[in-house]
Amino acid sequence: MATISFDLVSPENLIFNDEVGMIIVPGKDGDFGVLPGHSKVMSSLRPGRVMVYGEDKNLLKAFFVSGGFAEVNPEKCIVLAESVDEINTIEKPSIEKEIEELSGQETDAAKEQLAIAKAKIVALDSSFYEKI
Amino acid sequence: MPSLKDIKTQINSVGSTKKITSAMKMVAASKLRRSQEKAEAARPYSSRLEEMLASLASSASSGEGIIKLLTGTGNDQNYIVLPVSADRGLCGGFNSSINRETFKLVKSLKSDGKNVQIMPVGKKSRDFFNRVMKDQITESFVDLNISNTGYESALKVSNKLQELYFEGKFDKCILVFNKFKSAISQEVTQQQLIPLDISDSSKEENVDDSAAKAIYDYEPDEETILKDLLPKNVSIQIFKVLLESDAGEHGARMAAMDNATRNAGEMIDSLTLKYNRTRQAFITKELIEIISGAESI
Repeated sequence: MATISFDLVSPENLIFNDEVGMIIVPGKDGDFGVLPGHSKVMSSLRPGRVMVYGEDKNLLKAFFVSGGFAEVNPEKCIVLAESVDEINTIEKPSIEKEIEELSGQETDAAKEQLAIAKAKIVALDSSFYEKI
Repeated sequence: MPSLKDIKTQINSVGSTKKITSAMKMVAASKLRRSQEKAEAARPYSSRLEEMLASLASSASSGEGIIKLLTGTGNDQNYIVLPVSADRGLCGGFNSSINRETFKLVKSLKSDGKNVQIMPVGKKSRDFFNRVMKDQITESFVDLNISNTGYESALKVSNKLQELYFEGKFDKCILVFNKFKSAISQEVTQQQLIPLDISDSSKEENVDDSAAKAIYDYEPDEETILKDLLPKNVSIQIFKVLLESDAGEHGARMAAMDNATRNAGEMIDSLTLKYNRTRQAFITKELIEIISGAESI
């Protein structure tokens, strides 16, 4: 089966760079899957999960991104994320604590952080796409 | 003529200076490796962001709001200049070349009748411009400590910059920084940050496949993406510059301390020679005194 090259980059690091079978990306208007030969798309992202699958659709990695951009062309998919965590390194208690601390605050920055933290919890709890 | 003891003290003090400079050299070398890695790790993001912007920018026309980061305000009367220096000295000409270049730039802009503000990044340039052009400093950033805090501190600079831009405080923003060429050489570079200057490498590549790039689908739509992308680009560019300057600082310090260590070594050699000569002169003198004393009996 064909593969597509996938890059996941954060400002500090190149996090993932390999040939994969499929990627699911959390686009602003909804998740979309990218298979080899996908048409050209440029999309901004919402906080959510980036799922990376191997050639036979086995889940390779799951990341949480807090937003960013994706560029897709038939051979390549690039995700520019603001911050990236691998899903299984996120600790739920610390996120819940963060939410508690942030929920009282009124500033825009805090609200943004809160939305990201909440999205993290959702991402942790959801089991969509784990098996296809 | 200095006494033997004076020379000995001098040798000792140069010796301890040498120890310090060679220790600083080692520290700089290990820090250099780390910050060089960081600078390299940041490169993929900024280069890909530039690619994306280049393919988007062709379709953007002048407009209001955030798009102004790309198209400019239509004026070029007010400038803001950001000299990016280190927080600490003892790194050769690293800081002074930044200050000199910025000073020249500001002078020449002023002689063209422009208004110039300065926003120094780093203690060394802040201190310098505090002395020579205090009234033009709008804001300064020190102790950013980019190698530890990372992207966050770049955001601080970029947010402030954008705030000023949208208040209409300036029309063009120019960064003056040390570009990291290799461990021993840095190049003072000027980069126009706002409005975005896409005339460099990314555009040349774009010419060949502009037809191919034009057929992207945009989600949600072109303008929304551009609105997200442009402020991000400003932050990323600043981040990249800060990292490069950080790597350059350590490189410059390493080279400077290497020189200082070598000079101290040479100095010790020549002082030791002087010490031995003086000692020999004393011995000869004493011998002559004894012999002539013996002869006169």
